[in-house]
Amino acid sequence: MTLVLAARSGEITPEMEWVADRESVHVDVIRRGLAEGTIVIPRNIKRKQFNYSGIGQGLRIKVNALIGTSSDRTDWAMEERKLAGVESTGCDAMMDLSTGGNIDGMRRLILSKANIPVGSVPIYQAAIEAIERRGSIVKMTAEDMFTTIEKQAADGIDFMAIHSALNFDVLKRLQYTGRVTDVVSRGGAFLTGWMLHNDQENPLYEQFDRLLEILKTYDITLSMGDAIRPGSTADSLDSAQLEGLIVAGELVARAQAVGVQVMVEGPGHVPMNHIESTMLLQKRICHGAPYFILGNLATDIAPGYDHITAAIGGALAGASGADFLCYVTPAEHLGLPTEQDVKDGAIAARIAAHAADLAKGNKKAWERDMQMALARVTSNLERQISLSIDPEKARAMLGAMHKENCCAICGEECAVWVAAKYFGIALPIT
Amino acid sequence: MTLMCYARKGKSTPEMEQVAAEENVSLKFVVEGVAAGNIVIPRNKNRKNIKPIGIGAGLKTKVSASVGIHGSNGSIASETAKIQAAVEAGTHSIMDLSVSGDINAMRKQTLITTPTPVGTLPLYQAVAEAAQKYGSSLRMQEADLFEVIERQAAAGVDFLALHCGTTMNIVERAKQEGRIDPLVSYGGSHLIGWMIHNGRENPLYEHYDRILEIARKHDVTVSLADGMRPGCLADSLDGAQVQELVVLGELVRRAREADVQVMVKGPGHVPLQLLKATVMLQKSLCKGAPYFVFGPVVTDISIGYDHISAAIGGAISAWAGAEFLCYVTATEHVCLPDLGQVREGVVAALIAAHAADLAKGLPGAADWDLELSKARKKLDWQKQIELAIDPQRAAFMRKTRSEESSKGCAMCGKYCAMDVVSAYLGVAKQIC
Repeated sequence: MTLVLAARSGEITPEMEWVADRESVHVDVIRRGLAEGTIVIPRNIKRKQFNYSGIGQGLRIKVNALIGTSSDRTDWAMEERKLAGVESTGCDAMMDLSTGGNIDGMRRLILSKANIPVGSVPIYQAAIEAIERRGSIVKMTAEDMFTTIEKQAADGIDFMAIHSALNFDVLKRLQYTGRVTDVVSRGGAFLTGWMLHNDQENPLYEQFDRLLEILKTYDITLSMGDAIRPGSTADSLDSAQLEGLIVAGELVARAQAVGVQVMVEGPGHVPMNHIESTMLLQKRICHGAPYFILGNLATDIAPGYDHITAAIGGALAGASGADFLCYVTPAEHLGLPTEQDVKDGAIAARIAAHAADLAKGNKKAWERDMQMALARVTSNLERQISLSIDPEKARAMLGAMHKENCCAICGEECAVWVAAKYFGIALPIT
Repeated sequence: MTLMCYARKGKSTPEMEQVAAEENVSLKFVVEGVAAGNIVIPRNKNRKNIKPIGIGAGLKTKVSASVGIHGSNGSIASETAKIQAAVEAGTHSIMDLSVSGDINAMRKQTLITTPTPVGTLPLYQAVAEAAQKYGSSLRMQEADLFEVIERQAAAGVDFLALHCGTTMNIVERAKQEGRIDPLVSYGGSHLIGWMIHNGRENPLYEHYDRILEIARKHDVTVSLADGMRPGCLADSLDGAQVQELVVLGELVRRAREADVQVMVKGPGHVPLQLLKATVMLQKSLCKGAPYFVFGPVVTDISIGYDHISAAIGGAISAWAGAEFLCYVTATEHVCLPDLGQVREGVVAALIAAHAADLAKGLPGAADWDLELSKARKKLDWQKQIELAIDPQRAAFMRKTRSEESSKGCAMCGKYCAMDVVSAYLGVAKQIC
């Protein structure tokens, strides 16, 4: 029985209790959210207990990191270090997007090490194996796709990004809109190429029930891949994107009906003035399913700093309804991130998520900021460090400050000291 | 005659012409904006070698970087290097906020080094000199303060940040309502301490006309600083902040009546959902005077990453109408930034400014994004790097995060989405 079906029959599972405890909400809020499809808890029945993440309405906004090898770089040790870094940085989930070397081995290694939900994009492996075995992506068969999905499911993947919401209606719309950056989703690109070359409908759309069967067997959360997410701000909210969203909404309803957990992936590049509309449209059309967004990037012009453009977009998106933010690293658009890039991307996304939680009035988030403010007023450095988003970095920086003599404090002769006394603040006199 | 006098008479000046050309707007638009006070062009009469910029409604969002000697850690040489780094990164303005050392010499160096408008905060120097002269800043004389203001204006500073609105009344309110962090701004805290100790009203408020006289004489833009800037989210839009904003609105009116250009300084720490309201209040109370916001940072906990927190707050504020963003560096709340952090702070603020211009639909803003995206689609790396907000960094990242051999980038390696799809969509294959 899937978590959704358990929730619908009124059953409380350990996963629900775990999430309720972490979020400080009543477990029935979680149960009801799962039953209605507004909350997901990605976890494959094959996996041992780990740090479950509840994603969805009324919960803290979660952050996802991406790691994995590519054809240009297959360094397992580095990916393993990235995984550890991602967890220690406080990411709530991660996806293994490996496309280079022994993909199965990499995935199994990550699943054995990860203490958070792990996602994947099975079409990557299916496509790369098709190149290796059959000489080209377009020679991939529908069976290849489903075999890969089955294999990854059996390995214990908790959530899968699958581009089912791409069909010829969407592609037709895409051709008419005259996009600037067409298809920027790699999975979406593979499928688009495959469909056009073979003149065949997308098997992941056509055989959606077969897909749901597999997902249901392992209670995998479907992350509805966004094949035609906007890759430039000029393409945001065009008719192709909306057509894709409508198809996604249809499929979400089908997944929800059979008790499969489902969330929807989204943007991409979105100018700030489009963000709220994008969130509202997704929530409406996709029946309240959690929204998992990449970024989103508030401008196209900052390669090298896209963790910052994504923090801007992600914070606004989170404040207007996105539930799950996929990080973007400074290496986005330029190459494969280093460990430092991964960390920078993760922290930037966490800042965005936290800013959005504050905007939504999350009590725990507000309490943390209040404690930080009090620690600042009382110059309590240790407390500031422990409350900060990255204590390790804060310690290094505050440690450096301590040695500086920024201001010659003259005790009772200092104007700031007089002002502090007036307000009843005990400034430490050094 | 000040720029505002000219504009009010419907006359344009070379500064206005330069701003109109730079912004690709009509000269009439700039002249009318300056006359109405919703555009300022900070430019001291005595300032040499400046490239004037316009700040205000309908113009590109601008960015300012702050440098200055602070304690034993700064020198004229180190701060000059920071100015150069900030200018190279694209800042539109520099504030020299030196609080110690040879403040006069530093200012002189700043004015020579940057072609941008320069701002200062005279109270810092007045406090430093009083501490030297009398042994304590508490014994600073009003005359000392005005002498410093006059000195800095005569030296050619283009805009002066002055805490004119922090009245005793407002200080009392902050105490009564239990502000969490009432001592945020360095200048504000010293001023408040002085007022309390001496039992006197804020001289910058009491003798505001004198400030206007000096500003008018040298055609300096007044930047009305806020002593009640929220220093934590919990203090945002509290009674003290709003009351000060009401007073600042009154002071804006008086500046305009004296033909003095004026802008208003603001936040601080502001939770995301209050950003728009904050800007709207300022716009309404200060009758459209340009809003110069520090950050704002959208959380209190991002020590070491406050440039990112500020990029979020700055982008949303600028979208809501704030026209001038004061950068925040990664070392905010902790220590002074190094060269790299200055550069990064400027770029983060420029990203926020552009994201806002794009969201506002400012004519021309979207062209930049479009061009870069077209280059991206074509996998034209040289063009992408040229068009990047920081070409130097983009080139470095490309070089170090990808293999030379890759046509795409190492992220997708040979499975580049752009490439795969172009192969199919490029040929005009119709789907029926």
